[in-house]
Amino acid sequence: MIISSFNHKIIMKVTGAIMTLLGIAMVPPLFIAVADGENNLVFAFLLSMVPCLGIGLFLMIRSKPESTMLKIRDGYLIASATWILVSLIGALPYVFSGVMPNMINAFFESVSGFTATGATVIDDLSAMPKALLFWRAFCHWLGGMGILVLAISLLPALGIGGYKLASAEAPGPTMEKMSGKMADSAKILYLIYVFFTLLEVALLYLGGMNLFDATLHTFSSISTSGLSNYSDGIAHFNSLYLELIIAVFSILGSINFVLYYHLIWRRWREFFADAELRAFLLILAGAIFVIMLNLKLSGTISAWGESLRFAIFQSTSFISTSGCSITDYTLWPSFSQMILLCLMFIGGCSASTSGSLKVVRFLILLKLARRGLYRFLHPNAVVPIKLGSKTIPSDTVVKVNGFTILFFTIFLLTALVVSFDNYDLITTLSASAAMLTNTGAGLSLLGPGDTFNIFSVFTRLFLSFVMIAGRLELFTFLLLFTPAFWKNT
Amino acid sequence: MLNWKAMLKQTGVLMTILGLSMIPALLISCLYGEKDAMKGFFLSILPMVGLGIPLIFFAKTNFDHLKVRDGIAAVSLSWLLAPLLGSLPYVFSGEIPHFVHAVFESASGFTTTGATILDHPEELPHGLLFWRAFTQWLGGIGICVFTITLLPALGINTYKLFKSETGIPMFSKFSPRLSDGAKILFALYVGLTLFAFGLFWISGMGPFSAVLHGLSTISTGGFSNSASAVLGSMSLGSLAALTLFMLIAGIDITLLYLLLKGNWRELLRDGELRLYGILIGLSGILLTINLWMKTSYTFPAALGHGFFQTISAISTTGYISTDLLAWPTLSKLVLFFLMFIGGCSASVGGGLKVIRVLILLKLIKRGLTLRLHPRAVVPVKLGGKVVSADTVSAITSFSVLYFLLFFLGILLLSLNNLDLLTTSGAVAACLNNVGPLAQYASTDISFTAFSDVSLLLLTFYMLLGRLEIYMLILLLTKQFWNPDK
Repeated sequence: MIISSFNHKIIMKVTGAIMTLLGIAMVPPLFIAVADGENNLVFAFLLSMVPCLGIGLFLMIRSKPESTMLKIRDGYLIASATWILVSLIGALPYVFSGVMPNMINAFFESVSGFTATGATVIDDLSAMPKALLFWRAFCHWLGGMGILVLAISLLPALGIGGYKLASAEAPGPTMEKMSGKMADSAKILYLIYVFFTLLEVALLYLGGMNLFDATLHTFSSISTSGLSNYSDGIAHFNSLYLELIIAVFSILGSINFVLYYHLIWRRWREFFADAELRAFLLILAGAIFVIMLNLKLSGTISAWGESLRFAIFQSTSFISTSGCSITDYTLWPSFSQMILLCLMFIGGCSASTSGSLKVVRFLILLKLARRGLYRFLHPNAVVPIKLGSKTIPSDTVVKVNGFTILFFTIFLLTALVVSFDNYDLITTLSASAAMLTNTGAGLSLLGPGDTFNIFSVFTRLFLSFVMIAGRLELFTFLLLFTPAFWKNT
Repeated sequence: MLNWKAMLKQTGVLMTILGLSMIPALLISCLYGEKDAMKGFFLSILPMVGLGIPLIFFAKTNFDHLKVRDGIAAVSLSWLLAPLLGSLPYVFSGEIPHFVHAVFESASGFTTTGATILDHPEELPHGLLFWRAFTQWLGGIGICVFTITLLPALGINTYKLFKSETGIPMFSKFSPRLSDGAKILFALYVGLTLFAFGLFWISGMGPFSAVLHGLSTISTGGFSNSASAVLGSMSLGSLAALTLFMLIAGIDITLLYLLLKGNWRELLRDGELRLYGILIGLSGILLTINLWMKTSYTFPAALGHGFFQTISAISTTGYISTDLLAWPTLSKLVLFFLMFIGGCSASVGGGLKVIRVLILLKLIKRGLTLRLHPRAVVPVKLGGKVVSADTVSAITSFSVLYFLLFFLGILLLSLNNLDLLTTSGAVAACLNNVGPLAQYASTDISFTAFSDVSLLLLTFYMLLGRLEIYMLILLLTKQFWNPDK
């Protein structure tokens, strides 16, 4: 009876489509495994792929939905179920190959991929076969794409997500204006994602990386996951050029993709007129500047140039919620570390591949705090909240509020669960932040080269779900745990 | 234009009151024959009373024309002046010769924070120890007057909206005359203090120690005459008595009045009090289990320390019963959450206040409902009554500002380059007016490690937390000084 209120046929069809897609996505790593002659990996990928394709195609063909109408609850269910399903399927190659016999570890690694978090439980990356390294990075790239679909197509339809906020404000890019059909315009944005990917691979390749490394690092930076196939991360290459390319593409990945539509038509002014983008760049520039000063003046780093280099890379890495590193920032002065932590909580722009609160929400919160002060002095004044030149409707402000309160509540609850493992407070709190904001890196014991292996199996499983919740803008995922969601109305 | 004459008069009143209230401390130092302390008090009392009384008489003003802005200015002025004036005995007696340190100690008193700059407070002369505790008690009264009478008159507090029918008459406008309600509250506060003093004495504290702890428990202050507020050497009975009075001090004082009248039912129906009880119960049990399993405590010890620290944290008193640094992370984290929640509204506790947390929780629930039914109109209710959208918005902006300021404080303080835990512990200690508990749960570094600028910043944060943020921040805005522009 309960099921009947959902449009379960279309849910089945979407599930089938996603399983099919994922099966096809396993073809490239399969080829790599074949080329390397790794028989057990070939077997592992085939074993994951064949049933996945089989069930997927069967579901796609068999379910013929009478209507393509998606109700709100269908949307939430599809989004949450998709991320859990792909994470489960994505974990299969790790398990079948015997590389990660612990199922929870494989699930964590896979979730970290599809949510573009970039946290890992693999202590020794050098022992990983190439095909699995590729699959790991490819999951991030697919995850990044999935996030764009979610943010640009699905969430606005459900009335959540930063994108709607941005579109309410931005003078230009609403979907209607972009092109006649929404599906077409969304396609353009996915093409931009692919275009950036190809461009970055080429640029990294020119900078001296081999094609394999270039591809993997591209996957991780454009999806703002910040994963590397070396334990020492990007520092492995020790090349300023490569660092800058990766930083630039992390920034590109954390800008509202809808804005790129302006760039296609060379409307530079509209692009830079976006209030969220300007705030994002301003915060980033400010952070880089103060970190550079702090590093140099505290004597942590002796040269200005080096301070600037580290400041640029680490600030970019944290505000884009990538979480990769070229130096051990956990040895930095407290002030710089605190700035990184704050950047992590702000995150990138809405409708980008980055996670966390998002700049647009942060802006609205700041304005809200300021309005509180003003209304304290003028109790009867009516003060609208403005972003750029447009007024934000009050129910949007209410939603931003609700989101933020929930965000920090989940943050604290997660920290509480993590604290059962009894690591120090900074590790505990930053683990919670790293997962919820999809950054994947933290402070203290979670610095560069550290893994989430230090936590217990139960904590790792819990953190996997926190990553999904953070990625799906909380409400989408958490609604599934409310009785009201399952009630037939 | 601000009413400058009223400000001058206010200054005079404050100087006189503070000067006069140093007399008991002076008498105590005479009793114990402490010459330096006597000198310190003499040198402070004479100029304060000498300047204060003429100011009251010369600055003639009509209080009937005071506006909201004048009220804010008067309150802020008093709270900025009191720590300065209260620091004089420390400086003149030579016990805390460094002025910034003395101001920090004094502000920590008046804001009922309890953070101390002294590594060995037990070495202070009795007169100054008494003055230290007495500043907390005075601060407690100041807060009662501030929250219960002044804030509603300014039309901001959540308090007025929900609790106006508790039977206590309120100020309807800013007025210098004491209303019946204020008198009742004052009597209640004094009565509780005397009761606490008696019980502490019976439980085995010395009379002087009982007085000190009575003064700083009822005000949720947390100053103590033992080193760094660790009360480990006290008898079990004393610790139990302290727990009881910390618990009471965190409760809405107007509800205590209802209790006196025997109105139990009204008391139990109060949503805020219920949440306060639930939070204490759950956290206490969680801490007990955690301590019992992860440390070498016996079960009774875990139970005792668990509940003592839980109540000390949520009431923002800040007493410590044992070495907290060795505690498991879970327990420490729970304590930190509790300090941010703080006591009930209209209590002397600090923090966000339980009622705000209650409304924030309801907002989450509403958020979930709204996602599912986007067009539904779901009001936030408290005790069966709808909370107006304005109030909800005021509470959310307050909470946002609170946490923004917390992060900003850590950022500024981290320039001292002490580790992040010490830094955030210090900011939490001051913003939530908890004091020693927040500090010593995160670090073994005392406040002397911070630079003078940092100590002034922390002093400012104590005042921020105490005055519900807006009061002080407003003084820094242009709009406050130029309302017509």
